[in-house]
Amino acid sequence: MANQVEVSIKVNGVDSKAEIEPRMLLVHFLREELNLTGTHIGCDTSQCGACTVLLDGDPVKSCTVLAVQANGKSITTVEGLANQEELHPIQQSFWEKHGLQCGFCTPGVMIAAVGLLGENPDPSEEEIRDALEGVICRCTGYQFIVDAIKHAAQIMAGEEKVAMADSLKVEEVR
Amino acid sequence: MQLTYAHTFLLPREIVWELIQNEDVLKHSIPGCKSFTQLEDGSYDVEMGLSVGPVKGVFTGHVQMTDHQEPSYYCLKVKGKGAPGEVDAVAHMHLDEAENGVTLNCRMEVVVTGVLASVGQRVMGGVAKLVLGQFFKSADTEMRKLTSQV
Amino acid sequence: MASLIGSAVKRKEDPRLLTGNGCFTDDMKLPGMVYASFLRSPHAHAKIARLVVDKASQLPGVIAVFTGQDLADKMTSVPAMWFLPGCDLKPKDRPALAVDKVRYAGEAIAVVVAKDRYIAQDALDLIEVDYEVLPAVVQQEKAMQEGSSLLHDDVPNNLALLWKAGDIPDQVFEEAEVVVKERLYNQRVIPNPMETRGAVAQYNPGGGELTLWCTSQNPHIHRLIYANVLGIPETKLRIIAPDVGGGFGAKIATYTEEAVVACIAREVKKPVKWIEERKEHFMATSHGRDEVLEVELAGTKDGKITALRVTNTANLGAYLSTFGAGCPTIDFGLMVTGAYAIPQAAVVTYGVYTNTTPTDAYRGAGKPEATYQIERAIDLFASKIRMDPVEVRRINFVPKESFPFGNAMGVTYDSGNYQLTLDKALELFDYQAFRNEQEEQRKKGKYLGVGFSTYVELCGFGPSAVAGAIGFQGGVWENSTVRVHPRGTVSVFTGTSPHGQGTATTFAQIVAEKLGIPIEDVELVHGDTQSVSMGWGTYGSRATAVGGAAVSIATDRVIEKARRIAAHELETTLDQVEFINGQFTVKGDLTRCRTFQEIAKSANYAWNLPEGVEPSLEGQSFFDPSNFVYPFGTHICVVEVDEHTGEIEIKRYVAVDDVGRVINPLLAEGQVHGGIAQGVGQALWEGAVYTDQGQLMSGTFMDYTMPKARFFPPIESAFTETLSPVNPLGAKGVGETGTTAAPPAVVNAVMDALQPFGIHNLDMPLTPEKVWRAIRSGRDNG
Repeated sequence: MANQVEVSIKVNGVDSKAEIEPRMLLVHFLREELNLTGTHIGCDTSQCGACTVLLDGDPVKSCTVLAVQANGKSITTVEGLANQEELHPIQQSFWEKHGLQCGFCTPGVMIAAVGLLGENPDPSEEEIRDALEGVICRCTGYQFIVDAIKHAAQIMAGEEKVAMADSLKVEEVR
Repeated sequence: MQLTYAHTFLLPREIVWELIQNEDVLKHSIPGCKSFTQLEDGSYDVEMGLSVGPVKGVFTGHVQMTDHQEPSYYCLKVKGKGAPGEVDAVAHMHLDEAENGVTLNCRMEVVVTGVLASVGQRVMGGVAKLVLGQFFKSADTEMRKLTSQV
Repeated sequence: MASLIGSAVKRKEDPRLLTGNGCFTDDMKLPGMVYASFLRSPHAHAKIARLVVDKASQLPGVIAVFTGQDLADKMTSVPAMWFLPGCDLKPKDRPALAVDKVRYAGEAIAVVVAKDRYIAQDALDLIEVDYEVLPAVVQQEKAMQEGSSLLHDDVPNNLALLWKAGDIPDQVFEEAEVVVKERLYNQRVIPNPMETRGAVAQYNPGGGELTLWCTSQNPHIHRLIYANVLGIPETKLRIIAPDVGGGFGAKIATYTEEAVVACIAREVKKPVKWIEERKEHFMATSHGRDEVLEVELAGTKDGKITALRVTNTANLGAYLSTFGAGCPTIDFGLMVTGAYAIPQAAVVTYGVYTNTTPTDAYRGAGKPEATYQIERAIDLFASKIRMDPVEVRRINFVPKESFPFGNAMGVTYDSGNYQLTLDKALELFDYQAFRNEQEEQRKKGKYLGVGFSTYVELCGFGPSAVAGAIGFQGGVWENSTVRVHPRGTVSVFTGTSPHGQGTATTFAQIVAEKLGIPIEDVELVHGDTQSVSMGWGTYGSRATAVGGAAVSIATDRVIEKARRIAAHELETTLDQVEFINGQFTVKGDLTRCRTFQEIAKSANYAWNLPEGVEPSLEGQSFFDPSNFVYPFGTHICVVEVDEHTGEIEIKRYVAVDDVGRVINPLLAEGQVHGGIAQGVGQALWEGAVYTDQGQLMSGTFMDYTMPKARFFPPIESAFTETLSPVNPLGAKGVGETGTTAAPPAVVNAVMDALQPFGIHNLDMPLTPEKVWRAIRSGRDNG
């Protein structure tokens, strides 16, 4: 059995310490040690991006990072996007624009989108599509994901917020 | 998959002929070689650690040299297996006279299976060249060591 | 209040999924849970000469290692479910774990159970196996040849089935004014839902109950098959499909791994988890399509199609998968004439075993192939008689007055208006303007092309009597229980187990609309064999047309009973009670009323029920449709082909689909987008590639091109609504429109663009290399 090492990682604002095998991947650390199962594993070659998290604010694929490499750093997962009462604008937009179907790739796609909007608050359609290069969605055909990210950019520009408890709204038939 | 590789040794052909099949030279030259044991029939059991792109593993295998036509040709048969898959290779080794030495022309037919095939195949050509390059470079060094000692 | 049915309601399932609070199979954690990993064959065809697991068993942390021999008396092989009669079918089950021989690369031969997945992986490396490699057969036509290596000793020529339907004398083709003949290859594709397969099994040694959580499109089918495989009654096996991360057909099939996990949980008496790695998924989960289609179309010079015959040589892979026998025969064969009134048609299908991963349903299952051959053949025919491909379609469409329409293969299309979707699509597209621009651009060396696909699908399986007649080992009805709780909230139990479709929303829309209550008051219960009485699966675009219909009827039954209670309380007769917007009122006297919630309470408290009415408020329906449903539509694709690189850019994509009643336009459009992405994926990028030795070369996302966001322009989607008479909703089905319509639309567009180069046919995927070579040589492939 390999030696255990201690890591201390700030995850969604909470300091988390654990004794782990040095070969443990960050995604397994999040899922197995911290029970943060919102971050998913969709491949084993770092292509699909379902495991994307923010590491010190930058999107990374947590299947390609060892937990020990994140020692002393700060991680944001999908569970850390919303606060208690409100959805993050990206979550709100994915909901409104139907940016998800099975929901498996969604956490990673939303984190990648947050990364994009951090760098470019007003991306064009083309810039959004290019920024999604690191993620794969098999359900949506991406169009409503793109719409959702555009919408989120608008909300973030206008600071419009929607309560998490907001009920399902019936919109007019388009 | 077919691979070719050539390396020129600045040593006489007869010496290269002998040393390229020498157990000690091989043991020290095969990249990642963990063990190299001669069997009764003259063939060898070999264990080596190998890394092909995203695929890594320890391979155990069997090496046999046949069809000797001293000092210009022999055939090298390698069968190996490891967790990532199996390798079956036949290498035709031609020792051709060259200026100040001998050029070893290696023509190899390789079949791989498993993850080695599905994941590794794309990078296999490049990696194989790298491994062969490492091998010949080390063999060259080993041979110089041995010949200078003589 | 706006009508809920037909509204773009936001999904009820989303807040959970958006906040990381979904529960997929890999998110399950049970006390004392251990992990399983499978050892898989690196060879496509080999005898297992020696298999020794001692070193693996001895590794600290390993709980047990099982081989096929170890499981021989604990479970059976996993059989298929569709035994098509009249085709000399030779079904070959998937072995639990291969014992003497492996038949495809990736077939499981041993399983390790260890305390964590890292140790399980380490232990796999310690298992010693010696193989005697046998010659592999990969391509179906070669596998059928005399003298080819045999997968199964008792299946001569590797021929698993030979199915024939219809017969046309050669004379018809000999005497036809025009004949078009082409060999088309509908290549092998890999479903790749983003969630791979996985299973968690828990055994209770006290009562002998086994619970299996797994990624299933149809947990009840899994129970039906696995209970037999495991030798336990259905009452002792509970299957739960938690959140399922996409399926696309791959999660219909019953596989060995899930059953093995259940079996070994019983052996080690601990909960066992197995999650398929992506590289395993590529090799071990069923593939789709892989059919060689030889099509022969006869017609007149003025564009009328008179006869069609097709030979389909289908690659079934190494074993017969769950629906494996049905996809290239019934699903394909009955729809070969497409949206056209073709008087005569005939189909021959060869189903062939090869040393490849078994094939099964993939989004569309048979219909995309049927559509591909007819839509391609129409364009080849149009080109031969120098007629506009749109005109040829118009001439041959089944006229809207002809429905219900019996096609030449013997199925009856329920309803349709093919001209309507074509007209609407042309209106959105502006065909003439495009042709003018195409002409202009060609002069400048830019090659634009347009492709049409006017498809029709067979969906919504279906009458159960038909299922029986075609050898399907199960029913295809659906059921629902609509249970009203005392305070008027409603639980809807459905056998339709979703995996991303948004069923929990669309079904809630149906119920909330009918009961006149807020959609928040309706919750769906699905995916658990213990809570739902029965269900035959979410596939073949049948969720809404069959499952939704059952929900609708069950809700009607709730209203029927509630009305009796309301009449009693309002002291009037049944025919005097009206139910509008959640209120029971006496006709002509709006002051005398009861809300739905009040009646819910009355029914459940049962203080004062009318004579003969039992307590509680619940409606149930078991809906077996009288026919399939037939969605249709027109897709138009515009491409530009780069003469110098062979690269294809999709410039526009217009989709007008008629899926009957649209319950939620937002979700319906989402289905259309997703289907088109997969269909375009098959046309341009995706394809499973094997070496002659049966090694899968496209075994990762690095090698298998999954469609990405930047590959597409925005899709222009619209609907027309031609209701189905088959179910009370008038719904048809929307899930497979894109994968069915898109491949021929895209390929037709590329062929239109390449017309100046004298190229008529290229096989999918139309990679830049393939297109570039064709342009250089001025030749078709093959």
